Amino acid sequence: MVQINLPKNSEVKKGKYYKDQTGSDNIRKVNVYRWDPSTEENPRLDTYEVDMNNCPSKVLDILNKIKNEIDPSLAYRRSCAHGVCGSCAMNMGGKNGLACTTSHEEIDGDLDIYPLPHLNVKRDLIGDLDGLYKQYQSIEPWLKTTSKTNSTEIYQSKKDREKLDGAYECIMCACCSTSCPSYWWNGDKYLGPAVLLQAYRWIVDSRDDERKARLKKVADELKLYRCHTILNCTSACPKGLNPAKAIAEIKKMLATSNI
Amino acid sequence: MENKSPLSPHIQIYRWHISSLVSISHRITGIINIAAITLICIWVSFLTLGETNYDLIDFFFKSILGKFFVIGLTWSFSFQTLSEIRHLIMDMGYGYELKTTRISGLAVIFGSFILTILIYFLGKFFF
Repeated sequence: MVQINLPKNSEVKKGKYYKDQTGSDNIRKVNVYRWDPSTEENPRLDTYEVDMNNCPSKVLDILNKIKNEIDPSLAYRRSCAHGVCGSCAMNMGGKNGLACTTSHEEIDGDLDIYPLPHLNVKRDLIGDLDGLYKQYQSIEPWLKTTSKTNSTEIYQSKKDREKLDGAYECIMCACCSTSCPSYWWNGDKYLGPAVLLQAYRWIVDSRDDERKARLKKVADELKLYRCHTILNCTSACPKGLNPAKAIAEIKKMLATSNI
Repeated sequence: MENKSPLSPHIQIYRWHISSLVSISHRITGIINIAAITLICIWVSFLTLGETNYDLIDFFFKSILGKFFVIGLTWSFSFQTLSEIRHLIMDMGYGYELKTTRISGLAVIFGSFILTILIYFLGKFFF
């Protein structure tokens, strides 16, 4: 259901203001969404004055700096810091992306940092992605073959392998799915761009024997056809992939086959 | 614990871009068009009831509000038509690159105004 307003307990209040202690002449205001599960309070937006003279180029560097030098209570996910693991996905300057690959110079004015949109917040910038992982599991993202006697590897031509380009690189950071208004309103039923891109990845894999069954499984008014080509997904993807096109390809396959 | 956790902000904070604007406008103009077509049908059926009804409608369309209404609807129909063409092309699997979607979205927005002006002059000089 379309629910424009946030529930009462989710309204963001004004938070604390952390004044710069370094006396730097190059200050940037960074607004960060905070929520502490141990209190009964609403989420708040804390403002930090960050010394940009001694800060590397990415948004994650700012967060690390805040955590190390200003406020150690800030919680966020991060791991590889090279755009490979997908842990530090969040909303920066109104757009989803990976904090480790998003340059803070790309964003004008004060830097607003929120968790990925429309998720249950566990703490500060950490959203609950369980629903997405369950949906990922539901498309059975593994190779399925009917042959029980085949004892060698299944060969794939270069041409067939090329079909997976643009789909296999996905790191499941959830930037696309949580940017999608359709996924916000129908996230319990609509699979969302991330999962549908993976569904596509297995549908077009020449080694997989269950293409038809896979297609049949996603051919559903709510699971697939909630995509209205808003294209927030494609513009958010930090790996430059195109989930919207993959969804369109699935729709096309369904329209041209008699399933 | 579970129901206590807040929902992170979504539409309140997400930045708009051309494709999302065209998408939401497509919906809004669609709803306006359905209401407009219904209204036009009611008016037409009114005409069957006699001349006085025609005068009433004629009076409305010649007022400033009526002109705004007609031009607004022309734009709404123009936008819907162009945006639908964009959707049809996309349904065939073309035009999903970010740059292309931006260009096609802008074409729909500017095209809808140009089409409105064209239809206006077409109506003014040829009918």
